Amino acid sequence: MTTLMINKTKYEVELKGHETLLEVLRDKLGLTGTKTSCMESECGACVVNIDKKAILSCITLAKDVEEKEVTTIEGLSDGETLHPAQQAFLDKGAAQCGFCIPGMIMSSNALLEKTHTPTQEEMEYALDGNICRCTGYIKIFEAVREAGQVMKKKGH
Amino acid sequence: MLLNPLEFHKPATLQAAVKLYSELPDARLLAGGTFLLNSLKTMKRRGNKTPSHVISLKHIPDLHGIAVKDEKLFIGSAVVINDLFASSLLTDNFALLRIVCRNISTNPIRNMATVGGNLTSRYTWTELGAALIALKADMHFVGPDLKEEVLSVEDFFANNARTNKILRAISIIKDKKIKSSYQRVKKLSDVDVPLLAVCVTAQFSGNHFKDTRVVINSGTAFAKRDLVLEKFLNESSAHKNLAQEALDHLDTPIYDTRSDDYKKAMFRVGIKNAINELISGREK
Repeated sequence: MTTLMINKTKYEVELKGHETLLEVLRDKLGLTGTKTSCMESECGACVVNIDKKAILSCITLAKDVEEKEVTTIEGLSDGETLHPAQQAFLDKGAAQCGFCIPGMIMSSNALLEKTHTPTQEEMEYALDGNICRCTGYIKIFEAVREAGQVMKKKGH
Repeated sequence: MLLNPLEFHKPATLQAAVKLYSELPDARLLAGGTFLLNSLKTMKRRGNKTPSHVISLKHIPDLHGIAVKDEKLFIGSAVVINDLFASSLLTDNFALLRIVCRNISTNPIRNMATVGGNLTSRYTWTELGAALIALKADMHFVGPDLKEEVLSVEDFFANNARTNKILRAISIIKDKKIKSSYQRVKKLSDVDVPLLAVCVTAQFSGNHFKDTRVVINSGTAFAKRDLVLEKFLNESSAHKNLAQEALDHLDTPIYDTRSDDYKKAMFRVGIKNAINELISGREK
């Protein structure tokens, strides 16, 4: 059995060496907020945070993250209260179909953990691995800025 | 199922990793995984045989860390690109690495891809090779006998980037006099498919180029020096038409490996821009 620490919860999971974190999250733990899309590290839909960094779960072996702190989109909210990044994406209308948004929010969260007032350049650097096919990125950047302000106020 | 079954190994020491790597047949090393995992998926999709063992190098403290010791920068092979990018030790001639790191792929990849993986994955588009050859960097390998073998990055790529040892670290000598320019062009601004990478380093003695290195990448199988152009520049002094004149002194067979004329032309533009940037920045 392997112990995985996901969203501050310990999971004892029977893992095979070849299973990716993406497969384990979705198929074994039912955490389907992390999306399966390109499966070859191009699109960013499968981004989770590992030790506060944005990481692609489609090219991460699950056994390799034992003893690491994994956060998925399900781990951001506090009960019924959305995380400021989730709330800001909603308030700013930053999603259309929404499929890329969990990955987009997890990349944003990793950035906002480092700074609450990211510059445009820092946002572009942090989100350059998340592709959205529906919309432009303007509202997404507005949402990240807004979330940073809220996090600063709330002392996140 | 994305991958074929494999046995996963997670050694905690370099000694254990080296032992496993020498004993297990058909084992592949896993550093950041950005190249390996995708290539394993491709092999599976094509019906090719995939390795039975994967040895993760992520949990070996000896392979991590960035430090300056005795005027040399040491970068552990498991250091990820974003950590190198953010390092406060990238000053003087090492600052070139920050520009190179910034240009590698996307943020999640930069959070995962390692310096060692970038150099040893034998992938044509890897970026650090050119800069590290230009900076005269060395690679520190450890083999089954646990003895360290030091090889220049240039020699490593000249030998087609093949090794059966584990890369422990990279080292680069600090040299405040070295000026550098790095030019890179992608196919699309949002997609990291590089058309060319050119790295030029030089020292200046007054107006004269000295100890120049011109290294090209993305157009060749592996990063490679243009010795003809280096010789021309080392015999030249900086003036406003030098970059244009330099284009008549290229080791043309290197560039002819590109199939399209426009790609060959892009290299000439990159080289010209690099030389002009060096000339304008030589007093800084």
